Amino acid sequence: MSILKVAKRATGALLAAGLITGAAQASDKKDIVLGGSIPLTGVFAFAGVGIHAGITDSVKIINDAGGIEGHKLVYVPEDTAYKVDASVAAYNKITSQHDVNLYYGDSTAFSKTISPELDRSGKTLMTGASFASELNDPEKYPNIFIPGPTYVDMVGILMKHIANEKPGAKVGLVHSETEFGRDPVEGAKATAKELGLDLNLVISTAPGGVDVSTEVLKMRRARPDYVIFHGYVLSPIPEFIGQARSMGLDTKFMGTFWSMDNQMVGKMGEIADGFMGVMPYNYYYTEAENAPMLEKIRSMRDTYQSNAYMQGFFSTIMMAEAARNVIKAGKELNGPNLHEGLEAIKDFDTGGLMGIPVTVKGNSVPIGRVYQYDLSKKQMVPSSDWIRLD
Amino acid sequence: MDWLFFSEIGLAGLGSGGLYALTGLALVLIYKATRVVNMAIGEILMLGAYVFMGFSAGLALPIWASIILAILVTGLVGGVVERAIIRPMLGESAISIFMITIGLGSVLIGVVEIIWGANPQRLIEFMPKDPIFILDAYLSPKVGYAFLIAAIVVGLFLIIFRTWRGGVALRATAGDQAAAYSMGINVPKVFSSVWVLTSMIAAGAGILVGSIGGISPDMGVYGLSVLVVVIVGGLDSLLGALIAGILVGLIETYAGAYLGGEFKMLATFMLLVVVLVIRPYGLFGTHEIERL
Repeated sequence: MSILKVAKRATGALLAAGLITGAAQASDKKDIVLGGSIPLTGVFAFAGVGIHAGITDSVKIINDAGGIEGHKLVYVPEDTAYKVDASVAAYNKITSQHDVNLYYGDSTAFSKTISPELDRSGKTLMTGASFASELNDPEKYPNIFIPGPTYVDMVGILMKHIANEKPGAKVGLVHSETEFGRDPVEGAKATAKELGLDLNLVISTAPGGVDVSTEVLKMRRARPDYVIFHGYVLSPIPEFIGQARSMGLDTKFMGTFWSMDNQMVGKMGEIADGFMGVMPYNYYYTEAENAPMLEKIRSMRDTYQSNAYMQGFFSTIMMAEAARNVIKAGKELNGPNLHEGLEAIKDFDTGGLMGIPVTVKGNSVPIGRVYQYDLSKKQMVPSSDWIRLD
Repeated sequence: MDWLFFSEIGLAGLGSGGLYALTGLALVLIYKATRVVNMAIGEILMLGAYVFMGFSAGLALPIWASIILAILVTGLVGGVVERAIIRPMLGESAISIFMITIGLGSVLIGVVEIIWGANPQRLIEFMPKDPIFILDAYLSPKVGYAFLIAAIVVGLFLIIFRTWRGGVALRATAGDQAAAYSMGINVPKVFSSVWVLTSMIAAGAGILVGSIGGISPDMGVYGLSVLVVVIVGGLDSLLGALIAGILVGLIETYAGAYLGGEFKMLATFMLLVVVLVIRPYGLFGTHEIERL
């Protein structure tokens, strides 16, 4: 055997050994499990389906890029039908079958219910569909993260915009009579006072209510310059606007995140023109410089994806970034360390999901932008620059 | 006291009450004839609204054709349900059939989500948009026209129920099934007819309700409010359903206007509790005495 052949075989053997060792090392890296109580059916299914798609795509993108510092991210969802007992059952099932470090919960009620268990187990960082202000308390909810501004922040962003547009304006707040709907009421009163706005109308509507004539009659008497809707996806917003217009009111109407999906607003028809609201993320169709993640999403899915999709996507990359910070620091993946990893997120470039770099404050990301529906374009278009609440 | 506001609220309450009464009619009819409390009535109503959307927005058929087809298709679904699911259960305990209708509601939600998805939808606007003023009092056009349609349908139905041969057969079956059999009435056919008819009424109500508040797979919750209406009015009383529908509509809107939206449901269920305590069989229901 020539020296050359020996050298070749030795090199081949070394290369094979290296690859095998490398592969073994890679497979030694434990999977990071992202569990999810996802409302794929039930009253919140419209969002659950989008959230699920957003999480699924972001997990794929993360794993295609080598995982979280070499750890594969595994997504384990269960349908909850947006019921707290089903969400808790899903959590118990998933955590009993997997070593779960990251979790997505479907509601405020679930987040509050499961929080003591998160504290007890000390293993998991949770985010979810809720932007409830109460959860933005690192002392009380150390293992929970809000993937955007809280509902109070959202109303605050809208009120700041109103105060700039029309100082001293009369403002109405119409909210659903649910835990989700009631969340920003007290905060809105305080913010209005602070900004010199006249919050002269607060109306709650019963869940499942069909007719809103009574509420519109109250609005006619208060004649607010702006009305902010909170706690709705679509109904009863179109009926409110339609009746207000038929009474000759020139009130401007606004919504918070879950009322801001482009397709949903489009379903209002002609009355959607000029509808405004706050959105923490860019829309699927946003053409922006330095937005590779939006390009990636559009290359993966060629049809419009909802705001729920963007929320699920953003939640996942934020949790993955928190986990990455923990692993980079050489620490164990557990609740307290993941929370530290989350707090360490400063000026994080989300690839265009949010229009400005992201810094976590408390348990939330108090950033948003006011959009307005343009009927001719059939799109929500920016009406303000990105607003960061301090 | 702002009497204009008071009267406007009253008109809105009458409008809501009319829709409750129409759907309540369907629930009472089916109970009267078959002794089945159809817990899926809200979901049948929802199905009717979706089928209407399918014909009007999906297939772009004219509104009048879409309404007729939606009512017919939902009636057909009601007939199939009765023949395939309810009739084999005849003779079983009432609670078994009650549970089946709850399951039927879940199945219908699933079917709608599979066909049309889970997103909330808007129906094509087909009612006049100009506001209605009765003297100086404002009434939402949709609510006003929905009330008018509901009142006409209910009125027509009551006339048919009293005079038409089929209506008499239905009343006879409701009164005493054994006697109806012995008089040559085809009772199973009456059962089928009632399921078809009530599903058609529910579909009509669904189109009206959906045109006001939009539609979504969970709009069947509306059926729960209607259940309150028929319990207050008396499960086997058509007149009770009509009066209780109006009463619940008025109480809900006045509570919402003067106490706040959070008190609407509270007021309705307070009424239910009071009626159940005073008259457990409803305001106009039959007081059945069982001798043991």
